[in-house]
Amino acid sequence: MATQQKYNERNIEEYYVADEPFYVSTSDEIEIFESAYRQRVPILLKGPTGTGKTRFVEHMAWRLSEGIAKRNPNGASPSKTDEKLPLITVACHEDLTASDLVGRYLLDADGTRWIDGPLTRAVKYGGICYLDEIVEARKDTTVIIHPLTDHRRSLTIDKLGTTIDAADGFLLVVSYNPGYQNALKDLKHSTRQRFVALEFDFPDEEREAQIIAYESGCELETAERLARLGVKIRNLREHGLEEGASTRMLIYAGRLIKEGVSNRRACQVSVTWGITDDPQIQRSIDEVVTSIFA
Amino acid sequence: MTSSDEPKQPAIEVTRKELEQFPAPVLERYEIALEKLSGRLADETCQQWATEGLEIARMTVRSWEAAAEFFDASVAVQRQLPSGQFLKWAKTGTSLCEDSPSLAVAYFKSSPKAMLRLRPRYIDDWANVCRALYRGTWKSSALSCRLFEATPDLLETLSFEEFCHFGEFLEILSRRSYDQAGDALGAGIELFPKITGDVDRFINLAQIVAEKSWRETAVLFDSATASLVELGPNHRAPLISLARRLVITGVSDAAGMLRDGANTVNRVPTDTRDRLLEMTDGIAAVSAPAAPEFLKIVPEVLERVTFEQMGQWQLEGIQIARESDESAISYFKLESPRSQEMLDSLSSSIELSRVRDIIQMYCLALTGRAIDVQAAQQLAEKNIGWFQGELPTTEGTTIYMPSVINRYTTKDENFGFFKVISTHQIGHIEFGSFAFDFNIPSLLFDDLRPRLPGASELKAAKAADEAAKKKTVEKPQVVVFGHEPPADQAAAEATQEAAEPETPEFLTDMSRFFDLFQERRLALDVFTVLESSRIDGYVAELYPGVMEMYNIVRSAALESRPDVTELPAREALVEFMIRVSLDQVDDMIVPAEHKDAARKLRRLIRKITSIDAIVEDAAEASIRAYSILIDIDNDELDDDEFEQLEPEEEEDSSGSDDEDVVDPEEVIQQFMGQPSPEGEGEGDKEEGTGEQEFEGEGEEDYSSPQEVDYRGEFKPELSQLLSQMQMMESGEMTEHGEMEPITQEQLEEMMKNAPEMEMEQTEGEEGGDQQVSEMIENLMKELQKRDPENQQFQPGPSQHVDEDGGPLTATEPDTFTYPEWDFRANEYKPDWCMVHEKIMTDGEPNFFRETLAENQGLVAQIKRQFELVIPEMYRKQKRLEDGEEHDLDAVLEALIDLRVGVSPDEKLFWRRNKNERSVAVAFLLDLSASTAEAIDEAKKPSDDWGAPDDPVEYMVWLRSRRSEGLRRTYKRIVDVEKEGITLLVNSLEALGDAYGIYGFSGYGRENVEFYTIKDLDEKFTDIVPRRIDRIAPLHATRMGPAIRHTAAKLAEVEARSRFLFLISDGRPQDRGYSREGVEKEYAVHDTRQSLIEARQAGITPFCLTVDKAGHDYMKTMMEDFSYEVLSDISLLPKRLPQLYRNLTT
Repeated sequence: MATQQKYNERNIEEYYVADEPFYVSTSDEIEIFESAYRQRVPILLKGPTGTGKTRFVEHMAWRLSEGIAKRNPNGASPSKTDEKLPLITVACHEDLTASDLVGRYLLDADGTRWIDGPLTRAVKYGGICYLDEIVEARKDTTVIIHPLTDHRRSLTIDKLGTTIDAADGFLLVVSYNPGYQNALKDLKHSTRQRFVALEFDFPDEEREAQIIAYESGCELETAERLARLGVKIRNLREHGLEEGASTRMLIYAGRLIKEGVSNRRACQVSVTWGITDDPQIQRSIDEVVTSIFA
Repeated sequence: MTSSDEPKQPAIEVTRKELEQFPAPVLERYEIALEKLSGRLADETCQQWATEGLEIARMTVRSWEAAAEFFDASVAVQRQLPSGQFLKWAKTGTSLCEDSPSLAVAYFKSSPKAMLRLRPRYIDDWANVCRALYRGTWKSSALSCRLFEATPDLLETLSFEEFCHFGEFLEILSRRSYDQAGDALGAGIELFPKITGDVDRFINLAQIVAEKSWRETAVLFDSATASLVELGPNHRAPLISLARRLVITGVSDAAGMLRDGANTVNRVPTDTRDRLLEMTDGIAAVSAPAAPEFLKIVPEVLERVTFEQMGQWQLEGIQIARESDESAISYFKLESPRSQEMLDSLSSSIELSRVRDIIQMYCLALTGRAIDVQAAQQLAEKNIGWFQGELPTTEGTTIYMPSVINRYTTKDENFGFFKVISTHQIGHIEFGSFAFDFNIPSLLFDDLRPRLPGASELKAAKAADEAAKKKTVEKPQVVVFGHEPPADQAAAEATQEAAEPETPEFLTDMSRFFDLFQERRLALDVFTVLESSRIDGYVAELYPGVMEMYNIVRSAALESRPDVTELPAREALVEFMIRVSLDQVDDMIVPAEHKDAARKLRRLIRKITSIDAIVEDAAEASIRAYSILIDIDNDELDDDEFEQLEPEEEEDSSGSDDEDVVDPEEVIQQFMGQPSPEGEGEGDKEEGTGEQEFEGEGEEDYSSPQEVDYRGEFKPELSQLLSQMQMMESGEMTEHGEMEPITQEQLEEMMKNAPEMEMEQTEGEEGGDQQVSEMIENLMKELQKRDPENQQFQPGPSQHVDEDGGPLTATEPDTFTYPEWDFRANEYKPDWCMVHEKIMTDGEPNFFRETLAENQGLVAQIKRQFELVIPEMYRKQKRLEDGEEHDLDAVLEALIDLRVGVSPDEKLFWRRNKNERSVAVAFLLDLSASTAEAIDEAKKPSDDWGAPDDPVEYMVWLRSRRSEGLRRTYKRIVDVEKEGITLLVNSLEALGDAYGIYGFSGYGRENVEFYTIKDLDEKFTDIVPRRIDRIAPLHATRMGPAIRHTAAKLAEVEARSRFLFLISDGRPQDRGYSREGVEKEYAVHDTRQSLIEARQAGITPFCLTVDKAGHDYMKTMMEDFSYEVLSDISLLPKRLPQLYRNLTT
């Protein structure tokens, strides 16, 4: 914890959420997250793509920052970034190694120089480290997060031969999508049992319509139709579609519509063609689109 | 027998004398003939004639018969021939007689008639033609004689030239078979008169056929007689020419071609026939074998496209025909996808089968339930209460559609119609028509349902009443009752039989609802209109995109509605409702007397056609509409009794929307007193019009309105019953708790009461009853199928005859059950197949050793190939972001970059990738009986089945066989499979991949045999070669379960890449799995599905087949999977390792 002063420099991965990210709560997830954060219990977000997991984390980072600012007895200005909660997001991919998270030596003009990885930085600064799609990462990465998720709250850096205790504000949040159900890409139990899990699913039709309308700025009626389209397409999950239409997709359609693209065409390019390559399913979805949109 | 008075003719006398030594008839006939001829012939001629006769008689022992015939015929013949020719005729006969007296007999006998049609100069030729058939045998002489005898008949239609050709043909054919030639002769006599003008052409064809494939001639004549005759002469000639051309180019089935051709030509319109034959000619010019296929398929093609469009299709085909005969044939057989597509793009009609998947997915998307889509015919065939084969309908889980739509001129519109009807039908499902719950309150109306007495309640009350009064009067036909349900105990007891406890009595809430009505038919019709309007309302609101087409369909539906003024009053009002529901605005004609009722009905429809309405609202609205309509006598009205109803806007809005269209209290009164004005009724107007009046004279029986085509059949009771089962399964009905199993009695009761059944019942009492009981039986079956206890999935209509039955349970050890994919139902049959896993018994290790020894060269080659694979496994992988050590080259580059000030590449490491190769592979060998076939038919000696007939030879043969130790002298497919595996196994050991070898066969779904030769995790030991030795052909080929089982085994192995290598000799087939028609496809689809599953489990399937005909079904089965069809099975041992290497590296 004593390291905080030493590592004061800013890095681009650090992200303070300045404005309130739009997020519509579907249940008590905000309260749970807040409680878990207060208790520093790591959080696992489950759910299909485009259900707002990332947005939720951003929203929570902002909300918790606000909370910190409000709690500040001196009423210090919120621009004092130290008192905000940074959010460091790492999108995991199959080539993501432990050193990508922890840090590595880089060659310098004078020799080598150590650069902290995003996880290390979050640990040092006491921010939220959000590992998106954790199952995609290589197996060795999951091991290094284990000590961070239990009472130890520490990060071992092999190459430096040091162990860093996490700053007080640090919290690990990971997400994964059980939808790609695949024996190979499942979280190990030793990992998953270190988190409290929040399940995400698509919001209900009405709420989704609100979200679409807000995010895309399209007419509410269009948003309602888009939301209906989303519901209908999600019915095809497991029947040819691996994933249902994400809210994000629908928002994109809404944006295109707002730009003046015709309803059907907008849905086709942002939903139908995006969601599948199977011509037959595309045709079926097109039929749904042409039913819903005149 | 007076002697001649002209002794100067010695020959005559001599002849007479000589003839005396022959049997009497000879002389007798001589005398008769002589008498007639002597006056007509010159002396000299006459003498020559007599001498000729004598010569004939003397020629052989039996030739006197010929002589007799000669004399007989002479008189008639002489009349037609000049004397020179006459003698020539005689001489010809004599020379024939030299060959065979019977020929001469036939010649003379047929001469008189033949001469009528034969020019004298042809006599010789004629005799020669016939004589050519004679080859000294009895059969040939008989044939020859027949031709002589047939000549007069033949010449009636044939020119002499044609006759000669025919004779030539017979001669050619007779070289092969006298019987065939004889038959052909007979058939010719029949046929030729019917095809005059084309005889020569036909004979020419026949002759070629006789030369090329003489066995076909009989069929040729048969089919010509059967079909050619019907054709006009204009089309006969080209068709025959065509056939001839085809036969010349090697198509053997001229007969079939003629038959199909004639058939087709007869079926197309007269003015297109020439064009059709031209088309066929055009095809024949490019690809002869495709032409008959074209002729055969034309009627089918014309069902889908116009003749002109077919022309384009044919042109396209000709292009394809240039590629190869095979592709031409499959094109014109409508088997190739290109052909189908072409036809598809030409035709505007849409077949359900081609859009079924799209619609199914559309329905799934809209409802969120796996809705099945079937042809309407299928539901009618189930006979569970639906009768129309062509109307769209649903029973709650499946929607049924017409099998083809050809209402509009464009494809889009026709598809649009499909979309409209499917949207409407699934609307019933999506918007809950079948989720009707009697107890759920409606949203738009004051609920009357709980306040109305049910019919059975009334009946019960009545029974109680009767019991109480101890009346013995027989029940009247119509229930007449107006009392409150009885309260006293005695009555209640008495009614126990009639009034069963309320809830379990009704199978469905729908039934309970309809029980409220006396006139159930009317109630159903009203409910149908209102509920359909409600669905349409939802569709309009939620799916505005479909409305464009919807409106087109609706206006078409409106146009086909019957004229209101033709209908009696009540029906006219129901019709009015339908029209309102179809959005007819203007020109609304209603019975003048009932304008007010019409306004109310219209308001009801409007009210129900809103997004707020639920099915219970439709029910409430139905009660109101019913109460309005039941008061209206179904009288026949004159035209002038109809008037136009003012448009809605002009209607005085006395009743605002909030107000009920009818007074609920009145309705209750009316229902309570439904059948009878007997008691309490206060002379109310409503009460006055009860059942009695309704049944009264002068009134038409009420009959249901004509269905609206796009809405199809609506059977809420049955559908609710059927979908309830489905919903229970998916847990949607849990609040109802356990449902008692439905008994047959309950069903019967329901069917009896259900208004939707009535129309069939009334058609003849006897037949109706039987029909109903059959229907109930079918319905019971259907319900059982849906019972979640029985099955987790709803099975589709099964056409398997011997594959009935439910899922299997694996109880014994080493048995496994797997589902099977039913492509017609588009779903799995759970636990359908039982796989018995066995370890292959072990045999001798010799086969393994010998094979390796025999193929040393190949073994070495494979080894080398595989050795190349091994270094690949340990190759250093460079330019990694992370690895074992820095890659010096990369580091240097990076340092330089840094110095220069450019950002360096981060990939500075290398790593030895030991895990590069992590392969598990399972080989699955087809051990079906067909693998016992010799790999080359020609090489197969007449071994097993070619045992000699002669007992002595047989013993020798048997001994020689035994001495060979029953060893086959030819190679079977399975032997080659074994060889391939042997070689591969040998090399695989060097590679270190995990591999398993399995064989499969079986008989029926319960007995899929699965033999382990080497398990995936088993080490290669001596026992493996011994097991390989025992690989032998067994039974049938049910691929699906075997693939599933193998995939399951593979899934357990940890490896980065997994492969399933299927080695088969042909298409999947098994009892109930592959018979012709649908099942052939069933097997292919199931196999395909199992491969898809394997792929989903991360396994790469590969299929290697040696079936030369493999390409046709492999395309379907292995679509987007890899497969290879070996042109020569003997390549397998060589090819297998190659493939293996290519596939796994």
